[in-house]
This record gives sequence, structure tokens and C-alpha cells, in this order.
Amino acid sequence: MRIAVDLLGGDHAPDVVVDGALLALDADPSLVPVLVGPIDIAADALAARDARDRVEVVAASQVIEMAEHPARAVRAKRDATVRVAARLVHEGGADAMVSVGSTGATMAAALFTFGRVTGVTRPPLAIVVAAAAHPVVLLDVGSTVEAGPGLLAQFALAGAAYARVRLGLEEPRVGLLSVGSEDVKGDDTRKAAYDAIDAALGELPARFVGNVEGSDVPLGGPADVVVTDGLTGNVLLKGLEGMLTRIAHGLTAVAGDDPVVHRAFRKATAALDADTVGGAILLGVDGVAVVGHGASNAGAVASCIHAAAQAVTDGVVPNVTAALADLVARRRLAAGPPVMPASVTT
Amino acid sequence: MADALTADEVFEIVRAAVARVLEIDPATVSRTTSFAADLHADSLALVEVVEIVEGALRARVHGNFEIDDDDIEDLETVGAAADYAVARL
Repeated sequence: MRIAVDLLGGDHAPDVVVDGALLALDADPSLVPVLVGPIDIAADALAARDARDRVEVVAASQVIEMAEHPARAVRAKRDATVRVAARLVHEGGADAMVSVGSTGATMAAALFTFGRVTGVTRPPLAIVVAAAAHPVVLLDVGSTVEAGPGLLAQFALAGAAYARVRLGLEEPRVGLLSVGSEDVKGDDTRKAAYDAIDAALGELPARFVGNVEGSDVPLGGPADVVVTDGLTGNVLLKGLEGMLTRIAHGLTAVAGDDPVVHRAFRKATAALDADTVGGAILLGVDGVAVVGHGASNAGAVASCIHAAAQAVTDGVVPNVTAALADLVARRRLAAGPPVMPASVTT
Repeated sequence: MADALTADEVFEIVRAAVARVLEIDPATVSRTTSFAADLHADSLALVEVVEIVEGALRARVHGNFEIDDDDIEDLETVGAAADYAVARL
């Protein structure tokens, strides 16, 4: 399994990227991490770790900075790390790509290079949250910060398709993230999205359970799939992660360095820890692309690499594509073509 | 060769790209269709259309064809985009 890894992505590149690739390799020697970036930088980093022969390197000379306009930068920088990584996957030189750099740039590179699948105009980023009662697919967690009702309905279809494949659910329950469970709660977008999702799912093998609240994501409320725009989803996800860190600090204040307490905490929260959960997967593009936090450490990078490999092994792309095509075909048969959604991407 | 492509064929290539990116019926896209007002196409959609059109035209003319990034935002309608492409072939 060959995983193309963006060498220059993230706040702590290239060191954590190289360390993460080596960690992933230690855990699964069948993996072949392919670092995509400047040859000299990769060579120096690998030499410093005495690991020159353990990891492959593919040259890419440009990087897309966080502050750049993602689509324009991906278009202008043909030799950017994310663009080369996507090309490598598309041309069969790798099975999947991973980046902890600019989410928008990774999405644009994947979209332009892999192409889209039926039913998706904007690929949402989805993550599976190990909630208390049952796993929850949360999307979008950062791909498209402004999403209108039509796009949220698309995300609902994509999330339902992913839940069928990843969670093995025949009829996933889909909820819309809002500020209360009643159907009148939320802003105008949420109110319109409520009707759009209800109509989109209709008689499909997925059930719209209406509005859900933020607490339903970590606890596992009435929905298996929680749909929201990329801004709100990203805020929620980082809020949850920040809360874990805050609780860890609180434990230290109360229990000091008691190893039993901290071991129990780590064990209890491991399934929610960004360092071990893996990144978010882009749904609706014709290839596997996993995106991690810009602030990822080596463990988080390794986790993203494992998540990408697992997605390939599970056939997430062909299976989600088929499930989505099925849902879209049924929906179009019942309701006619979708309305073009308005959207803004970071 | 470039002269093998008519203006109508170029328009069809642009129209197909627009329909594919925005998941709409090509029949609803005309020369006067506005990217912003009618299609609500954002910058990512426009860039994706450009990438697809460039790829399709390169394949047809067996050569280099590029749309200048600075010109993308100025192409207000699908017809204007097609005319622009014809002029650069």
C-alpha cells in the first residue's frame, strides 16, 4: 500500500511529517509512505533519522501556504506538494494521499485531479466520532465553510452513503446540526436545509431524524450522521478536542501526576484523541484523500496515514460512489434534478 | 489541430464542463447564462471549469492551451468564456 504524504503540509513540517511516516511504517511494515516534496529537504530529514532507505520520495518544488486562495494556488502551482501527491494517486503511483496542510488546497487538488463523483459538487470532509452510544459520522468538518440548503442536502446524501459503507448501516439516521431539536430552531439556512434534507432523503434507505444538537455528536444521540457546514463542523470538532485537553489539565490540577488517573483518562478518551483517530476523509472525489490538523504531531500524521490505508482496503471510494449513485438515482427519479447549491470555499 | 474545432464545438465543451461541475442539465446552460447571477458559481467552481476546459481543449488541439488566471473573473457568461477560448486557440 503506497500512501503519498505531503511533506510540507502543516505547522510543523517537514519534521513531524517524516516522523509520522516512520511511525506509520513501524506499526505497519507493509505500508510504503511516499514523501512528496523538495528532494533536498526530504533527504536531509531522512538522513538525520538514518532512514534514507525506508521511505520513498517524489519531487515537488512548491508549497501552498495556509493564507493563499486554495483553488487559485493549486491551479497556479502545478508542482505544489498536494497537486503532485494527487497526481501520483490519479496516475497509479500511490493508492491514497495524506496532507496536514491547507484543507482547501487539498480539497481543490483532489477535486481537480481525481474528479468528482455523481451527486457531489463540493466534497465534504467527514470524520467518524467514537461517540458514547454509537459511532457518529460528522460532516462537513472544514471543506466548505458556507453551505446553502442544497449543499447541506448533498452532504446528507454523501454522509448517508458513507455511513452505509463505513458503519455497515442499512438505513442510517441523518440529523441536521442546529441549536435545538425542534424543527423551527436555527437560522434561515438551517430552516431551509431541514426541508431540503427531508425532501432529498425522502423514501431513500436513510432516515432524516430532524435537528440534533452539538452534544449529540460526542454522546451519540438520535443520528448516525450529523450534517453541518464546514465552519460549524470545524468549530465543533476543535471545541471537542479542546475540551479533552482542558479536562486533562483539570485532572493534573486535581490528581497531580498520578499515573493511574492519567492512564485511565487516556484510555477513556483514546477513541476521541486527534492523535489516534486519524484525519478526515474527503467524500465525493474519485480517490482517497485524508486531511489532518495543521497542528498535527507525528502521531496524528501516522494516524492519518493508517486511516488512508484503511480507506483503500475498505474500498471506501468505490463503495461510497456506488451507494451515492444509488441514492442520487432514486432521488432524481422521485424528485427531479437537484437545485444548484450556493457555496463558498475557503 | 486548432482549426478542426468550430466555435460551436468549443461552446459545447464549455457547456459540458459547466454542467459537470455544477451538476446541472446542460440544456439549461446557454450562451447568456451568467456564472454568478444564474449559476451561483463560486471561485472554486470557476477554476474547476477552467481546468476541465483546458484539459479538453488541449486534448483536441494536441497542443498547449491555457486560460490566463487574471482573466477568469472577467468571464461573466458561458458564451463569453467560449468566445475567449476560441480566441486563444
